[in-house]
Amino acid sequence: MANEKVDVVIVGAGASGSVYASVLAKAGKKVLLLDNGPDWQLQDLISSEFWGRRIRPAGAPVLLDGKNPFGYTAQAGWGVGGAALHYFANFPRYLPTDYKIKSEHGRAHDWPISYQDVAPFYDKVAAEIGVSGDAKQEEKWRPAGPAYPMPPMKTFPNGEVWLEAAKANGVQLVPAAVGMTSQDWKGRPACLYDGWCHVGCPTGALANPVVTYLQQARKAKAEVRPFSTVTRVLTNQAGTRVTGVEYYDAQKQRQVQEASVVILAAWSGQNPRILLNSSTDKHPKGLANKNELVGKFMMTHHIAPTWALFDEDITPHMGTIGAQFMSYDRYDKKSGGAGFGSSFIVAGAAMKTNDFAQARFDLFGPDLHAFMKRAAKGLTRITIFGEGLPRLENRVELASDKDEFGMPLARLTHSFDDDALALWSSNYDLGVKIAKATKAKEVWPGRGPVVPTTHLHGGAIMGTGAANSVTNSYGQTHEVPNLWMAGPCVFPSEGASNPTYTIFAVSQRGAEHLASNWNTITKA
Amino acid sequence: MADIERRALMKGAALGALAFTVGGTTVMLTAGQAHARNVPFRTLKENEADTIAALGETLVPGARNAGIAHFIDQQISVPPEEALLQARILHVRPPFANFYRAAIGAVDRASDKVYGAKFAQLSTDVQREFVGLMRQNKLEGWQGGPPGPFVYTVFRSDAVDVVYSTMDGYEMLGVPYMPHIAPDRRW
Repeated sequence: MANEKVDVVIVGAGASGSVYASVLAKAGKKVLLLDNGPDWQLQDLISSEFWGRRIRPAGAPVLLDGKNPFGYTAQAGWGVGGAALHYFANFPRYLPTDYKIKSEHGRAHDWPISYQDVAPFYDKVAAEIGVSGDAKQEEKWRPAGPAYPMPPMKTFPNGEVWLEAAKANGVQLVPAAVGMTSQDWKGRPACLYDGWCHVGCPTGALANPVVTYLQQARKAKAEVRPFSTVTRVLTNQAGTRVTGVEYYDAQKQRQVQEASVVILAAWSGQNPRILLNSSTDKHPKGLANKNELVGKFMMTHHIAPTWALFDEDITPHMGTIGAQFMSYDRYDKKSGGAGFGSSFIVAGAAMKTNDFAQARFDLFGPDLHAFMKRAAKGLTRITIFGEGLPRLENRVELASDKDEFGMPLARLTHSFDDDALALWSSNYDLGVKIAKATKAKEVWPGRGPVVPTTHLHGGAIMGTGAANSVTNSYGQTHEVPNLWMAGPCVFPSEGASNPTYTIFAVSQRGAEHLASNWNTITKA
Repeated sequence: MADIERRALMKGAALGALAFTVGGTTVMLTAGQAHARNVPFRTLKENEADTIAALGETLVPGARNAGIAHFIDQQISVPPEEALLQARILHVRPPFANFYRAAIGAVDRASDKVYGAKFAQLSTDVQREFVGLMRQNKLEGWQGGPPGPFVYTVFRSDAVDVVYSTMDGYEMLGVPYMPHIAPDRRW
C-alpha cells in the first residue's frame, strides 16, 4: 500500500519526538509521527495504580543482561506521549560540569556543546510548556538566568520535615523545578497535588506532550499514526540518504513510508535496535554504524532511597509524585562519600499505597498490615540519584529471538563500574545520616540485593566527529545527513539529575537547526 | 474553580471494572465481586486458584476475599498489552499465564516435599513459615519454576494490589483517594 511521501517521519511520539513534530510542523513541514502504541487521550488517564500500567511498555520485550540490568518496564512508555505521559516532571537541568566532564576530570566524554549552548533552550522550553520553581535559589549552583514562568509548587509536611535535617548535614534543599502548573497558566489549571502524576495527569497541570508539544504539532497539521511499529530505516541504493521507513500498521500489515528526513525519537533502547536492524550491503553493521558505536555507551542513574517513618501525620499522600525539594550540593563529581560522579538529591513526594508496601518489602501478613496503617500517616522518603559513567561494554545489540514482525529483539547489557557502586553505597550513608537528623521514629535505607536504576541514556551519542560518536550536537548522524536521532540516546554523559528537561531543550535546539537548514539537509 | 468541583467534573469518565463471563454473558465486576459470586475461572484450574488464594491471603490478609485468584485469572486471560498486572512492570515475559503456572507448580511441589501437602492445605502458621523461607530463598524443596524470592515479589505485589490499591483499600487505610478520573466500581 502506497503512502504519500512526507517531509519528515518521526519514529516515537514521546518527549523528543513531540518537540521535533511541533517545531517542524509549525515551520510548515509535512510531519508524520509513527508510534507503536495507542493514541492516548487525557480521558484515558484513570487515577489508578492498576490502570496506569496500561501506559507502560508492551509489545516486544527487551532482553536484560549484565550485573545491573536496567529496569525499563517502569521507566519507558507505550503509545503516544511515551514515557513523558507518566513521567514525574522533575525539571532540574544538567549543570556546566556535565557538559565537560572529560576536560575537568579526564573521565567519560565531553559534550560537543556547552551549558551556554543549551541554556537558551532551557529558557525557551520553560516559557513554552511552563516550569514552576525558584530560579534564584538554584543559581548558587548554576549560571544566572530568567525566572521560571511560575512560582514554586506548594509544599507539604512530608517534604518539609527534611529541610532542617538536610541543612544540618550540609545539604541545602530548594524548591524543586517541575514541569507543572503551580497556578492557572496558559489555559491549563493549577495542580491539585493529588499525586497521580505517575499514571498520567489528565488535568493538564503536568506538562506531558499531549497538552504541550503534541497539541501544538497537531494544530499545525502534524499527523499521528498510532499502532505503527517501525522495523527498519530505508536507504537509497548508494546508501547515502535515507528514503523513509518500513513499519507494520495496526492490522500488522507491512507499510513503507517515504520521507525526506527520518528522525528516530523512540526510547533509547529502541533507537539502536532499529539502526542495527537497518543493515544493507552499504551498511553491513547497521545504519550509521561504521564506527560500531551504535548501541554503545548505554547509561543509567543509580538510586539510593532512604525511608523515614514519623509518628505524626505528615500527609504522605499529598503533593506530586516528583519532588518538593531538590539539591545539587553533592553534584560536584568528586563530592560523593566514595567513588566518582554527580549525585542529585530530592525530598518529599506524594506516595500511594503501593509505595507504602514497597518501603518494607520484607514484611507480609499481619506485620505488613500494621506497617501500612502507620505508613499511611507517617512515611516519607529522601532519594539520591547517582551518575553512571558511559562504558563501551554497556550496550544494545540484536538478539537471536525475534518479535512478531520478524525483527530481532534488543538485548540490553548494563553493569555499573566500581566507582558508580561505591557512590551508590555512599549515597545511602548520606541519606540515612540526614534521615536520622529528622524527628522520625524509624529510619532505614531502601536497599536490596538489586541496584535500582532509572533514566536510560546513550546508544547513539553525540560528539565532535565520526571517530567518537554517532551524531553531531544537533542529532544529525555523521554518516547519513537526513537521518537524525533524538532523545537521551544522543547524550554522551548523563549527569545525575532527571533528564527530561534537557531532552526537551536539546530537541528544541536540534529541531530549530533542522528547520532553519532544511534545504541544505534535504538536498539530494 | 474549586478543587473538589474540578475533580468531580472528571469523575466517571472511564471504565475501571474488569470483564468476567457469567452464564455466557460478559459482565463488569470487581475481582472481589467475582470471588463472592463464585464466577468460573477462565484460565486457571480450581486447584491453581486455591493455591493463589491461599498464598495471597498469607501475604496480605484480605487478599482471598478481595478476589486475588479472579484478578489474576482475568488478567492472564487478556492480551498482555491489556494486562494490569505488576508482572508487566516486573519484567515477566508474556504470556503471563506461563509464569503463574510455573510459580504455582513450584510452590505446591515444595510444599508437598517439605510439608507433605499442597500449600492451600497447610495450616496458617505453616503457610507463614513457608512464605518467609520462600522470600529468603531458603526453601530446600524448591525445584523448577521461577526463583522463590521472585515468586514472593510478584504475588505479594498482586495481593497488595487487590487489598490496598483499590478505592476500598485506600479507605481502609484512611488515605484519601482523590482521583482526577475515578475508576468505576471502586477499582
